[in-house]
Amino acid sequence: MWHHKPAIDEELLQSLPNLKVVASSGVGIDHLDLKLLSSYGVKVSNTPFIVSTDTADMGMALLLASSRRLVEGHEMAVSPDTEYFPADWLGVEVSGATLGIVGMGTIGYKVAERAKAFEMKILYHNRNQRKKEEESAVGAVYCKKIDDLLQQSDFVLLAVNLTPQTHKLIGKRELELMKPTATLINISRGLIVDQDALVEALQNKVIKAAALDVTYPEPLPRDHPLLKLKNVIITPHIGSATKTTRWVMMEEMAESIEAGLAGLPVPREVL
Amino acid sequence: VGKKVQAIYLWWHKPVIDKELLQSLPNLKVIANSGVGMDHLDLKLVASFGVKMANAPRAVSSTTADTGMALLLASARRLVEVHNISISPSMEYCEADILGVKLAGATLGIIGMGSIGYKIALRAKAFEMKILYHNRTRRKVQDEQAVDATYCRRIDSLLQQADFVMLVVSLTPQTHKLIGKKELELMKPTATLINISRGAVVDQEALVAALQTGVIRAAALDVTSPEPLPRDHPLLKLKNVIITPHLGIKTDKATYMITEEAVENILAALSGLPLPSEVLPS
Repeated sequence: MWHHKPAIDEELLQSLPNLKVVASSGVGIDHLDLKLLSSYGVKVSNTPFIVSTDTADMGMALLLASSRRLVEGHEMAVSPDTEYFPADWLGVEVSGATLGIVGMGTIGYKVAERAKAFEMKILYHNRNQRKKEEESAVGAVYCKKIDDLLQQSDFVLLAVNLTPQTHKLIGKRELELMKPTATLINISRGLIVDQDALVEALQNKVIKAAALDVTYPEPLPRDHPLLKLKNVIITPHIGSATKTTRWVMMEEMAESIEAGLAGLPVPREVL
Repeated sequence: VGKKVQAIYLWWHKPVIDKELLQSLPNLKVIANSGVGMDHLDLKLVASFGVKMANAPRAVSSTTADTGMALLLASARRLVEVHNISISPSMEYCEADILGVKLAGATLGIIGMGSIGYKIALRAKAFEMKILYHNRTRRKVQDEQAVDATYCRRIDSLLQQADFVMLVVSLTPQTHKLIGKKELELMKPTATLINISRGAVVDQEALVAALQTGVIRAAALDVTSPEPLPRDHPLLKLKNVIITPHLGIKTDKATYMITEEAVENILAALSGLPLPSEVLPS
């Protein structure tokens, strides 16, 4: 299964009586009804760890591109109308700024490791606090209340998985808690953010900018306001899209399928 | 008015400091530069008028290193290209076609390991990249070990092994057109060239040819010769090139800090005290 296709529903499962295993690409499994699949005796696998590094890199790429106005800058540099580069054209400093990571799993932690090298102050919010050694290794400070993180961060990066609890985790209230100079970066799932509230917040300068590798839906309808906002960077869900990683993902999926068909324990099974 | 001027704070290489200007400002004591590069100044000429010069080295290194990393990441993950696809009126794209390059395990070759180059090494290490560097002089062993960087005494050796080549040298007669046809051909065909130094460090025509014929994969340039490029320049049309408008140190915080450094130097010069970051003609 690539990019959440085909959609697995009761109809499909009924039409495939010999289906033994569904191997899903990537780590997210919010698009799968695990209970339903289990009831048909179908095993499910994903590719959890291999995507972490590239996805963390993507988070940092979006953070840097947004803060330094890279896309806008490139457009200026190549535009037929440009005669000179204005001296007062500035971006926002990354080094020494505060990054708030919402969701400190494998991917969130890798983001923290990278951000530390940029001398960033790191706050994080997670269901559970990480071990002290893990926190000290990246200089991360735990925020039990997400509000504390939102109020102090210059950059808020979402690295949670999509569950009923994280659905619309970032809404009007959360956006208003953020600094007006802050940037929201989303490498999780579009549904973690209340997208309408985000559009409003960006239009009314409640927050400064957003950089999104994920939206809902993907892709957005072509007349969606997010596509027109100058302070938004959107990428087409390419968190794990590198040649090397995709190759490994395919190998892992094939491995899981072979095991499933042979009746052996399925590597990376999702229960 | 000319007689009253004792200090000049040079913002973005303006005003142009030539013999005429220096002659018209008999009481000029110091020129403080906004940034670290001094290649736009005739150091000998200025010194011959008894005028001191200073740059702003401390404030720039982190911000410029950030620019280098921003370009590295944007190029590796084809960020400009995919953003344009995401917002384009036509939705037809095949995700499988937009694959980027994995950084973890890839090799970054840093040419010029001064303060900025070193900060880039610190950042790249966190991305699990292998680091090679070429510099006039070798760094201390502890410095190398802290970032796991391997010294390449010969630039050729670095060029042949690197997946990403980042130029972080100052522009001098020795580094002028440091990267030309020969150097580009030594690079891997899958390699990316990133320039955050000065446009003149690269033979631009050779670069265009190399990018057009696949001698190297891509380039990301924060600096060009001139800036901006003429609007009909081939570099503006190549799909595998990201050009940014000399982002270098253009952030709110860095601008503040370099101005502070410049003021420190100006006040020192006017008081006859040693300048914190004086630049002498070599």
